[in-house]
Amino acid sequence: MRLTPGPPREIDLDGVDLFDLDLYTEGDPHPVWDAMRERAPLHHQVLPDGREFWSVTRFEDVCRVLGDHREFTSERGTVPTHLGTDDVAAGVLLTSTDPPRHTEVRRPLGAKLTARAVKSWEDSIRRTIVRFLAPALDGEPFDLAEQALLLPALVTGPLLGIPEKDWAELVQLTAMVTAPSDPHFRTGSEAATLAIAHHELVTYVREWVLSRRKSGFEDDSLLHHLMNVRPGGAPLTDEEIALDGYSILLGANVTTPHTVSGTVHALMERPEQFDKAQADPTLIPNLVEEGLRWTSAACNFMRYAVDDVEIAGGTIPARGAVVAWIGSANRDASRFPDPHTFDITRANAKRQVAFGFGPHFCIGAPLARLTLRVFFEELLQHFGSIEPAGEPQHLRSYFIAGMTHLPITAQKRRTP
Amino acid sequence: MAMEQQAAPSSAPVALVQETAALWSQCLGVEVKAEDDFFALGGNSLTGIKIIERIFEDHGVQLSVRDFYLAGTPARIAGLIEQGRAGT
Repeated sequence: MRLTPGPPREIDLDGVDLFDLDLYTEGDPHPVWDAMRERAPLHHQVLPDGREFWSVTRFEDVCRVLGDHREFTSERGTVPTHLGTDDVAAGVLLTSTDPPRHTEVRRPLGAKLTARAVKSWEDSIRRTIVRFLAPALDGEPFDLAEQALLLPALVTGPLLGIPEKDWAELVQLTAMVTAPSDPHFRTGSEAATLAIAHHELVTYVREWVLSRRKSGFEDDSLLHHLMNVRPGGAPLTDEEIALDGYSILLGANVTTPHTVSGTVHALMERPEQFDKAQADPTLIPNLVEEGLRWTSAACNFMRYAVDDVEIAGGTIPARGAVVAWIGSANRDASRFPDPHTFDITRANAKRQVAFGFGPHFCIGAPLARLTLRVFFEELLQHFGSIEPAGEPQHLRSYFIAGMTHLPITAQKRRTP
Repeated sequence: MAMEQQAAPSSAPVALVQETAALWSQCLGVEVKAEDDFFALGGNSLTGIKIIERIFEDHGVQLSVRDFYLAGTPARIAGLIEQGRAGT
């Protein structure tokens, strides 16, 4: 989807289809969300097949839906792709589990992923990123979006405990989960694409665990850690390990690449922002926060209302599905003045909710922040300028806002 | 990535097709006919994992994950089993 909105246009909110994939591939959703925040902060849509959902788009409403599990449960699924079908992994998969069980399992996993814990990975992440960027410096066109899909695998592979030879396949599978209709990833029908990817990923983790048990090999990796945690006094079941391992793979792979591409694209369109960051590298952490706000790669998450609930001037009926549009919350003018201006010096950029909000706040956020900071430190250190070398191509997904192609050409920086 | 629907042979014996439909019915908890679509019946990857395991136990045939979901009906799956048994 376009991250810089096009010219203003008339929006008919009764006729708008938020699940129209063309809106995200070719279109411009921001003016739609602007109109929703303004005129219909609780929006209701019925799909042609009869399924229906409510949407919240304002910052405070998005935080409330994501933050309050008593009013809005995760236990029937959290991804709009599965709207109307209760999650078969409810209460087992961490992202589809409410507190208190959620808290119990999350705590020991999160301990491995705090900012302090991931800090020890900084040097190896930096070496990986320097290697990743090197081919872009020869002056030839470099497809940043396509290459970036592999970046999280390069960075997190050793941390998760997954050998390099498996990553290309895993990246393909996680991409199939997030954009099953995108021609780059689709295999047969959308349902078949999703099922193949889920099946292969869950099986991969199951077999990883089986072979670890057999060999007795132990290491410091996150997947191995899953085998050893004892939330509430008992180890995770094999099904929990497989599903949470799947979830960690997915979280690691499918958002960071799009934050990289979207932020580089924003800098390319605004050379003055690029120059500002290059002149003052202390701005880089804030550039990362603004890039997260701007791209909002995880565009939305879904919850189900437990009982009738009053929100945003209306009522969501008990058992109704509600989509919390993170991409819209991060452009809410009541929080972020001139929200459609990309400004690396924005005072409160860090208040963005690109990692979500509440109990399910992204468990990998410290690692993502570290990776993005190192990425932009190295980029600004070595690149004198970046120019577009073709049109970007956007991911065919209403769930992940991203790019499949972003051709660039870069010039080496002369006096770093 | 292959986009085309897998052309699974539909020449499997009727008994095998019925047996496959019965297995699906057991795993999905609904009535299943030879030409029913896996996803329309409410199938998902967790039921798919079970069915592929059962087919391996019952017939010694390890179906590929992709072939299974792209085939989509008991009749076509029976064709894949038949093909697997023949070792082709």
